[in-house]
Amino acid sequence: MSAIIVPASWKGRAVIRPAVRAAMAVMALAGLLLFSQGIWIHAKAILAQVLLDRAFTQSIQTGEPVKPWSWADTWPVARIEFPRIGESAIALHGASGQALAFGPGHVDHSAEAGENGTAVYAAHRDTHFAFLKQVQIGDTIRITRRDGKAFTYRVSGKSVVRWDQSGIDTNARGKNLVLATCWPFNATTSGPMRYLVTAEIAE
Amino acid sequence: MKTETCTLPSSLHTMPHWLRRTCQTLWLINIVGLPFVALAVFFFSLANAHAETARSPLVTLDEVKSGTLLLKSSDAGRYIEAPRVATDVDIVVSGPTARARITQIFTNPSNGWVEAVYAYPLPEDSAVHALKMVVGKRVIIGDIKEKKEAKAIYETAKASGQKASLVEQQRPNLFTNSVANIGPHEQVVVQIDYQEPVRLSGDEFSLRVPLVVAPRYNPAPVTQTADLAADGSGWGTTADPVPDREKITSPVLDPRVNAPVNPVSIKVRLQAGFALGEVKSHHHPVNIETVDAQTQLISLAGDNHADRDFELTWKPQSAKAPAVGLFRETIGSNDYALAYITPPVIEQKQEERPREIVFVIDNSGSMGGTSMNQAKASLDYALSRLKPADRFNVIRFDDTMTSLFQDTVTADRNNISTAREFVGNLEAAGGTEMLAPLEAALDDRRPNDQAFVRQIVLLTDGAIGNEQQLLDTIAAKLGRSRVFMVGIGSAPNNYLMNRAAELGRGTFTSIGSTDQVDERMRNLFAKLESPVITNLSATFSSGNADVTPAILPDLYRGEPLVIAAKLSSLSGTLTVKGMIGSQPWEVTLPVAKAAKGEGLSKLWARRKISDAEVESTLGKISRDEADKRILKLALENSLVSRLTSLVAVDKNVSRSQDKPLTRADVPLNLPAGWDFDTVFGEQTTRKADLENGSDVHLAKLVHSNKPVTIQPAGEQFPLPQTATDAELRMIAGLLMLLASAGLFFFTRKTGKAS
Repeated sequence: MSAIIVPASWKGRAVIRPAVRAAMAVMALAGLLLFSQGIWIHAKAILAQVLLDRAFTQSIQTGEPVKPWSWADTWPVARIEFPRIGESAIALHGASGQALAFGPGHVDHSAEAGENGTAVYAAHRDTHFAFLKQVQIGDTIRITRRDGKAFTYRVSGKSVVRWDQSGIDTNARGKNLVLATCWPFNATTSGPMRYLVTAEIAE
Repeated sequence: MKTETCTLPSSLHTMPHWLRRTCQTLWLINIVGLPFVALAVFFFSLANAHAETARSPLVTLDEVKSGTLLLKSSDAGRYIEAPRVATDVDIVVSGPTARARITQIFTNPSNGWVEAVYAYPLPEDSAVHALKMVVGKRVIIGDIKEKKEAKAIYETAKASGQKASLVEQQRPNLFTNSVANIGPHEQVVVQIDYQEPVRLSGDEFSLRVPLVVAPRYNPAPVTQTADLAADGSGWGTTADPVPDREKITSPVLDPRVNAPVNPVSIKVRLQAGFALGEVKSHHHPVNIETVDAQTQLISLAGDNHADRDFELTWKPQSAKAPAVGLFRETIGSNDYALAYITPPVIEQKQEERPREIVFVIDNSGSMGGTSMNQAKASLDYALSRLKPADRFNVIRFDDTMTSLFQDTVTADRNNISTAREFVGNLEAAGGTEMLAPLEAALDDRRPNDQAFVRQIVLLTDGAIGNEQQLLDTIAAKLGRSRVFMVGIGSAPNNYLMNRAAELGRGTFTSIGSTDQVDERMRNLFAKLESPVITNLSATFSSGNADVTPAILPDLYRGEPLVIAAKLSSLSGTLTVKGMIGSQPWEVTLPVAKAAKGEGLSKLWARRKISDAEVESTLGKISRDEADKRILKLALENSLVSRLTSLVAVDKNVSRSQDKPLTRADVPLNLPAGWDFDTVFGEQTTRKADLENGSDVHLAKLVHSNKPVTIQPAGEQFPLPQTATDAELRMIAGLLMLLASAGLFFFTRKTGKAS
C-alpha cells in the first residue's frame, strides 16, 4: 500500500500500474473465494438436510443407522419438529464440528430423547437453529427417534449461559430436552455464551 | 471526515496540483485502506478465536483425531493429552548393597507446555541421594534442599519458564517427580540414584523393585482425630487421617480398555560375593547371562509395563547362606560398617507354649482378583497349621468388619472348619478401613496371661493412605502381642508392611503370586512356631560407635540381624549377644577384617532416619526432635526424606511467558491382578476421592478413534461451539471485492487525470 503512495512523482507509473492491477485481481479473487465459502456453508447446511431427511426415513424403515452419504462419519438419529413455526431439522449423532455443519447434533453423553435424563441437541445459530429465537414458552417440540418412536415436549424455559457453566444435568429427574445454540444470534464472531431452550416431556 | 474538505473526485482536474494529490491520497486511503483495516480486524478476531486452542495444551473431545489418552482438566469440557513416562532401572548389586539408577523419560504428546507429575514407588528402605536432569545435551545436577525451599526453587523456575525437576518423598516408599515446562512433543530425561540394602531371609537373598503405586484407599475425614489447644480454651482442630490425599492419588487406567502405559526395562548386575546357586525372577520373564561363578547379568525379557513389583531372589551354591557378613566403607574421616548376622537355628528347642493367634484378613475392593485368592489360600493354610492346644480368631474387614468369634476360641476341629468356611466365602468389595479391625485384634482380654504366646497375622495389600494412624495404634497398643504382616498382591505397600512388623516386633512376609503361597506361608509358620531371639545387643569394642537400628528387633527363625554403624576407627570387634528362647547366644566379629562395601554411609543415614521416625511413633522422642534429627541427617548425607527434596533447575528459559503451562498427573496402570470394578466401580469412597480430590480426573482410552471419558456427577456439562463463520467470510469477501473495485476505480481516474 505504501508503495503506491510514497512516490510523489508518478514517473515509476510503468512499474506500479501492473502491480496495482495484479493486486486488484488477487483481491477480487480472494474476495470471491471468501464470499463463496460463506455461501457454501449455508448451501451445505441446506443441501445436507435434504440428504439427511432421506437417510432418516430409510433409517426408520430399516431400523439400522443409515449414512446420508458414503463418506459421512455420522448418521441421523432424530427428527426435531416445531409445529407452530413450521420448522424441522434432522439431528445427527455427535456434536463435532463436522457433524454440526450438516445438522443439529445430539451431544455425546446426554440422554436419548424420550429417556430419563436430559437430551441435549446443539446446532449453529445461523443455520439449523436460526429459528430458535422464535420459539416461545409453551410451544411443542416433537422428536422422532431413529426407531420410529415419537415424543412431544413442551418448552418450559429459555436462558443464556456460558458454554462451560451450562447447569445442564444429563441425569436430571424426568424426561427433559435442551436445545442449544450460540448467543447472541446476530453476532458474527463466536463467543462463550449459549442460548438454551429447555423443554419437558408432555404426557 | 477529511474528505469533506475536498470536493468530489470528478472535479479533480479543476484543483491546484497539491490539493489534487492530497485528495487522491486520502481517497485512496479511504476506499482501499479501510476495507483492508476491516479485513485485518476480521482475521485478527478469527486468529483470536483459535489462539486459545493453539497455545493451550487443552483440547476438547471434538478436536481429538486419534486414540489418545485424555485426562480431564480443571477447565470443564477440556482435556489434556496425558504425559507419558518410560522407565529404565539399572541396578548393581555388590555384596550386601544394591545401587540403582532410575531413568525416567518424560514425553509430552500434546501441543502445549506441560508440567508432568509422576507418582512412583521406591523400596521403602532406599536412600535416594542424587538427581540429574538431562535437557538436550546439558546435564543439570540436582541439589538437596529443605522440602519447602526446594519447592520454592522449583515453583520459581516453573513460573519463569525454566525446565526444572523436583523429587519429593510422600511416603518412605512413595515419591513424586514433578517436571516443569516440557515443551510440545518434547522429552525430558530425569535420573534418580538410590542405594538399598539387600534383604536376607533364611538362605535366600532378595531384591525388590516396586514399579507401580497401587491406588490407595483414603478413609474419609469423618473419622477425625481432635487436637485441643494447649491453652485450655477448649477449642481445637481436627486432623484429616490422610492430610496429603491429593498428592498420593494419580489417575488409574482401566486395563480392559487401555493399552498398558509406562514401559519399563530393568537390568541387574548381580555380584553376590559368593558362588551363585538359584537366581530367580518371581513375577517377570528375564534373560540371565552368567559372567563368572559369582556374577550374573539379569535383564527383563519382552515388553514390560509398570504394573507389578519386580522381585529377584538368589541363593548361594552351597546349601547354606553365610551366617555372618561384615562390610566397611570410608567416607572422608568417617568409617561405616554394615553387618549381617544370622543366629543359628536350634531345632530341638521348639517353642512349647501354645499360641493365641488372631488372623485379620483384608477383603476390600483393592484385593479383588488374584489377591483375594492368594489371601484366602494363605489363611486357609494357616488355619490348617493350628494345633488343638492353640486358641484363634478370624476378623475380616473392608469398610465394615466382622469378628468370626466373640473372643479367641480353642482350635478344635469344629471351630477350624467353621473358620475355613467363613474364609472360603469371603469376597472382595468395599473400602479399606483398617484401623478398627486392627484395634479389635490388638484388644487383649488377658494381657498378663503368660501361658499363651499372643500373635496377630494381618493379611493385606496395605493400599491405604493413613499409614501413620495404623502405626501409631500398633505402637500404642501392642502389649504382649506380636504383629506379623503378610503382604498380598503384585504391588503391596511394603513401607506399611515393614514398619508395622518392626513396631509390632514381628516379621513381614510378601506373597506376590498364588504359587508363592505354600512356600512363604510355610516359612512364616516356621517362624511363628520357633523360639524367638530376644534381648539382642550389639557392641563395638572400639567405642564411639553410632549403631542403628537403635532398638534391635526380636528375630525369628532364619532372619539375620542387620546393623549399620558409624565408627571412629575400623578396629576391635563387634559382639552380638541375645537369647534364643531360653538359651544365651553370642558371636564376635573382627571389624578390621571387614570387606569393602559401597554406599554404606547412605544406608546408615537412611536407617538413622527410620530410627527417628520409629522413636517418634513409639513416643520416645517428640515429633519436633525427630524432625530436627531427620533434617540434619538428610542434609548432611544428601538424602531425600519427609523433610528434604532434590531439585534441579535448568538455567536457560525455554517457555516464554505468553504460553500457558498446564499441570498433568501421569496416569498409572492398575497393578496386575487387580480388578478395576471392585476397586473403582463399587467403592464409592475411593471413587469420590479420585474424582473430587484432584483437579485431574479419571479418563479412559479406547482403542477406537473416540476418546471416552467419565463424567463425574455434578460436573458442568460443556456445550459445543455453535456458530459458523459463514457470515464473517461473506463480509470479508465483500470487503475484499469492494477494495478491489475501489482500487480499480482509483487507477482509472488517476490514469485519466494524467
